[in-house]
Amino acid sequence: MTTHFVRQAVIGARVAPATAPIDWRRALFPTPAMAVLSLLLLALFVALGWRFLQWGVVHAHWLGSSSEACPGDEGACWAFVVARWKPLLVGNYPSDQLWRAWTCFAAFALFWVWVVRRSHTASLQRVLLGFILLPVAFFLLLIGGGPLPVVAPTRWGGLLLTLVVTLATFATALPIGLCLALGRRSRLPIARWLCGGFVEGIRSVPLLAVLFVAATLLPLFLPSGSSMDLFSRAVVAFALFNAAMAAEVFRGGLQAVGRGQIEAATTVGLNDFAALRVIVLPQAITAVVPALVNIMIAVIKETTLLSIIGVSDLLGAVEIGAKSPDWIGQSNILTSGYVFLAATYLTVCYGLSRYSRRLEARR
Amino acid sequence: MNTASDANATIARMRGINKWYGSYHALRDIDLHVTSGERVVICGPSGSGKSTLVRIVNLLEPFQQGRLQVCGIDVGADQITRAARLEVNRRVGMVFQQFNLFPHMTVLQNLTVGPIWGSGVDRKEVHELAGRYLERVGLSEQAQKHPAQLSGGQQQRVAIARALCTRPQLILFDEPTASLDPEMVNEVLQTMESLAAEGMTMVVVTHEMAFARRVADRVIFMDQGQIIETASPDDFFDRPQSVRLKTFLGRVLTH
Repeated sequence: MTTHFVRQAVIGARVAPATAPIDWRRALFPTPAMAVLSLLLLALFVALGWRFLQWGVVHAHWLGSSSEACPGDEGACWAFVVARWKPLLVGNYPSDQLWRAWTCFAAFALFWVWVVRRSHTASLQRVLLGFILLPVAFFLLLIGGGPLPVVAPTRWGGLLLTLVVTLATFATALPIGLCLALGRRSRLPIARWLCGGFVEGIRSVPLLAVLFVAATLLPLFLPSGSSMDLFSRAVVAFALFNAAMAAEVFRGGLQAVGRGQIEAATTVGLNDFAALRVIVLPQAITAVVPALVNIMIAVIKETTLLSIIGVSDLLGAVEIGAKSPDWIGQSNILTSGYVFLAATYLTVCYGLSRYSRRLEARR
Repeated sequence: MNTASDANATIARMRGINKWYGSYHALRDIDLHVTSGERVVICGPSGSGKSTLVRIVNLLEPFQQGRLQVCGIDVGADQITRAARLEVNRRVGMVFQQFNLFPHMTVLQNLTVGPIWGSGVDRKEVHELAGRYLERVGLSEQAQKHPAQLSGGQQQRVAIARALCTRPQLILFDEPTASLDPEMVNEVLQTMESLAAEGMTMVVVTHEMAFARRVADRVIFMDQGQIIETASPDDFFDRPQSVRLKTFLGRVLTH
């Protein structure tokens, strides 16, 4: 027989029990075999950390203006990085015009602080607009013209070049990528084929090959007399390559907007363009911003390939520095430069990836 | 459109409409005439073509044979252009089973986006209109919220207000309560009933038989892509003629 149960007093909500902190002893030494493994790994980390500390701090040489400051290879030669800070930051940018480079760095830093501090509220479309307008402004300021003396891009270098190429790539690749993604959904078969062919073609070729084509083959196709410097050609190569990447990302975002949304837009009287502009794109772009940040991280790292075709980005600046008369002859100097380079890229890319995580959490 | 002579004016007329999905014959020789102020309820088993029929009325789906006349726009099977669809949709509103609200916009923006971007109505005028319709569906308090913050019933009422805000001559409802929790069905049905009481022309696909009986001028039973029986609600439910409708009512009404 079923008993008839009736609750007399409602149960009030209670506080959840506190989650226990991690029990390190249980986590690291659950069984004897695991304990041995943990100890071995710990010993390895300590030994490696100790070696690095010895090399990077204890025996390191911090100051000096030539390789004589760094005798032996027991310690890192940070003197090399410290002494050559200017070429590492701006390359050969003329000393009397350096304020232009500093303005770019400062403007970007301010923009980035704004983006991160407002990461929970700022309109993503405005952030993207910033990423498109900033590089245009930077390019105009750096190259000069009018009242400002012209500084050819061949004199730009180091971190400045990395920053400008990254931003310029982003600013061009995103709009082109969006157009390609829309083209692949077009009702016109020719537009569909062209965009699809371009995206699939570029995606199947290594970036380095695209860069070599831009550096060596492209000038042959350009009409004689037209001068397109190596920097611009490299940016074009980066832009096209990453446009293909961005196109695939945008395509995913567009697909994520359901058919029902487009139908609803139709039934409230929006034409195709308005539906795309106010219903589809805002949702599609918001959905793919984390993936776009990933493309940006990839672009930053890809810029190191520029040094192979002779554009001196941050990596190029390190290598040129290590070959300069004052510093030539010690592998330790180049190693120190590479470690500095890795640390710089790690800081920038890790920061971006954290930002991307924050955006994902926001949704 | 309030004069006496308009009382029987044609709002929608389907003549000999046939529709195939690939080789599947989804709608067969559909003839349907809806006059101004009329409330038509369409019911039938799933897969009978009810949704396809209402989606053809505002050209969300193309058809291969027949003629469609909606709010003065006459379209043949081979004349379904984007321009024609846009013209029809500026006069016909639609409420979907899945609400299809715009999730990135506030409730108020959901109502105003159509008139502002579609018909270029003055912003201030649209906001006034939207405020009035939100009040009509009892959601003035929620104007600044996003759809995800509302219950299913509230979302569907927003969808109704959004359709009203485009000032349609006809509103189509495609199973508006089918994806709602049972306790929210009534608030949506009540909103629809009050619309009907005001003389709005409505074509409603629904399984809510009590609603059909209370509100409809005419009930249509569809099966296998064709109209099997059309009758006044009393005849439809109390004196069904066809075997298929009798079987259907037997399944739906006896619990």
